[in-house]
Amino acid sequence: MAFLSLEEYLYTFMDENNLAYVPFLLSERELPEVDLALVEGTVRNGDHFKRAREVRGKAERLLALGTCACFGGVQGLADMYSEEGLMRRHFGKGVTFEGSPQAVRRLLPLDSYVGVDAYLPGCPPPVDLLQSFLELALSGALPNRDGATVCAECKVGCLPLPQPGPRRIIEQESARGKCLLDQGFICMGPVTRDGCGADCPSEYGIPCTGCRGPSAAVLSDPSLDPRLETIRRLARATHKRPSEINEFIKDQAQSFFVHCLAEPLLRRRRPGGTSLYIKRLGEK
Amino acid sequence: MADILIEPVTRTYGNAAVRVILHEDGRPEEARFQAFGYRGLDQVVRGAHIDNLLPIVARICGPDSLFHQIGAATAVERALAIEVPEEAAHLRELAMWAQLFERHAVSLTVHSLPDLLFPSSGQNLRSIISIHKVDEEVVQRVMTLKSLGTTILREAGGRPVHPVNFVIGGALKDIAAEGRAKLIEKLEEAKPLLIETAHLMKQLLRRNDEAVKSLGTQQSSYLALKGDSSLPLFGSAVNVGGSEGEDLGSIEIADMPRRIMVNNSSYSQIRNVEISDIPRFRVGPLARLNINAKYGSRMADEELDEIKSQWGFPIHQSMLNHMARMLEMMHAWERMNELLSRPPGEIMRRPVTCREERGVSIIEAPEGLLIYNLEVDEEGLIRELNYISPLQFNLKALEASLAETAATCVGPGEPEDRAVNLLEMAVRAYAPCPMCGVH
Repeated sequence: MAFLSLEEYLYTFMDENNLAYVPFLLSERELPEVDLALVEGTVRNGDHFKRAREVRGKAERLLALGTCACFGGVQGLADMYSEEGLMRRHFGKGVTFEGSPQAVRRLLPLDSYVGVDAYLPGCPPPVDLLQSFLELALSGALPNRDGATVCAECKVGCLPLPQPGPRRIIEQESARGKCLLDQGFICMGPVTRDGCGADCPSEYGIPCTGCRGPSAAVLSDPSLDPRLETIRRLARATHKRPSEINEFIKDQAQSFFVHCLAEPLLRRRRPGGTSLYIKRLGEK
Repeated sequence: MADILIEPVTRTYGNAAVRVILHEDGRPEEARFQAFGYRGLDQVVRGAHIDNLLPIVARICGPDSLFHQIGAATAVERALAIEVPEEAAHLRELAMWAQLFERHAVSLTVHSLPDLLFPSSGQNLRSIISIHKVDEEVVQRVMTLKSLGTTILREAGGRPVHPVNFVIGGALKDIAAEGRAKLIEKLEEAKPLLIETAHLMKQLLRRNDEAVKSLGTQQSSYLALKGDSSLPLFGSAVNVGGSEGEDLGSIEIADMPRRIMVNNSSYSQIRNVEISDIPRFRVGPLARLNINAKYGSRMADEELDEIKSQWGFPIHQSMLNHMARMLEMMHAWERMNELLSRPPGEIMRRPVTCREERGVSIIEAPEGLLIYNLEVDEEGLIRELNYISPLQFNLKALEASLAETAATCVGPGEPEDRAVNLLEMAVRAYAPCPMCGVH
């Protein structure tokens, strides 16, 4: 669908290039050798893995498109549960499926399975970035953005501190044009990659959920954790102790890692391996 | 003899396969629609605060993202007895018609137009790209319609995929008067394109009469929301219509979870749904038409008279879902025009106070009923969430259509290419979303 949103550029793209394999648009079922492959989504089972390997083998350059392919995305939240626990809760105990591909033990971004040449995260990927991404990729240069954060694009101003909080946006309307974190809302802007234009906080007065994925700084700095960093900023804004903020936010996986729980770089930094602070609900 | 396996089913949403199991003599025995890849999206919201619910459920699906948000929001609002301000409800409805318009435009054109335009061509010629090569104008026309839905959705929802403008309790920002005028202008500009496309679809369905009369013609009951004067997207009861058009009563929203039986399949992760005391049924554009018998908007109802005289009423042929989609686009056009003609709202949301409660919502998504059933605790954390997507309701009917299609084109001496084409067309008639179905 993101591809169809390219509108005018789509015609240019179709005229100048041969779209070889797009099940959404074409009836071609065999993947040929290609110059450029855009891969969306996550690897959930053996079939997906085989498919990813096949694409890698046949594509000169492979680009991960969307936050799921880049960082695991919302689907990565399944990482809170064991595969078996998840299936049992939905389908019932001991249910199996004829011809079902083998499930992967753990959900990981695409580059944990195959080599990826470039990344365009976003849920959805911003259409203007997708176009420039394609233009660059077709010209032979792979785009490489030095990542700033959503805050760098955000047009809001600061507030005198302390402010009340932490709080939730459905309980309390935000003051428009003012920093959401300063107001005590859980905003992921400082730890999220830029490129979206920061419309959520600037135009709609709602906190960033982090749909463009972790910023380059978060990925490269071992001491920068999205959860700890956000708690630290909320503590600063509300003049409360970090432990108090921590206690208030019960749904930590869905609040701090909604788009990147499966990202191995962040997982590695969590105390206790998988996680000490993500509630494992599925193991009853 | 080896079964026929179509994997992936192309020119449709998500990732699915069709398998036709053959007898030893090569005749078809059973047709299956299969999808795997359960993502656990109904489970990962457990324990989440309702503040985080809408961004997560939006990711169940791209083309239906708004409907999942509104379905989930409505269920919470029913649970917590929140009255959404009228203007916010109108903005939600506008966004829903816009997404329905966009999704129908894609289903009709990108997915199905190539089959109807080139019924005797091979698979590799059946695409919007091939059409673009021979008739640029048709493609530009249909893509303009798709873009119209996208543009209105972007304005109403903040962005066209996974919208951000809706929250539990209402919406954040209305479209200003100036923006409304511009969108009405765009709607007016697109009206001739919509009428031309409707005529093209009518003509093509007449020309593909044989396909209409063979790719899924079984009679069934129908389930849809019924409006007093016009086709609704929200409701408090589901109406049931019989195969002869008779009124079989209605099921109240609160009774729905009790009447529904969700069954595992042995060969697919899409669970099918039955409703007690109701024989085989379908949901979606055709069901809405058969239940409501009219759209309640001038353009669509004028066309409907002609359709009824040609195909009879109620309409059972699943390929005529395409016609119902076209009429719904006309209805959506008029409804969007009406909603945009209203002044922008001032009060857009109500504050939310959390308490322990359970809520159910039923809305019409583009391909049929979408039900959300959830429970929240006193802190606003989600204790449990289930939803049923349109494909789960339609699964048995879709497989019956596939079996009927296979009976006409699968067998010794029948070319497999032709069978694959026809079976995929039978799937596209339902425009199913396997990812919504699997979760």
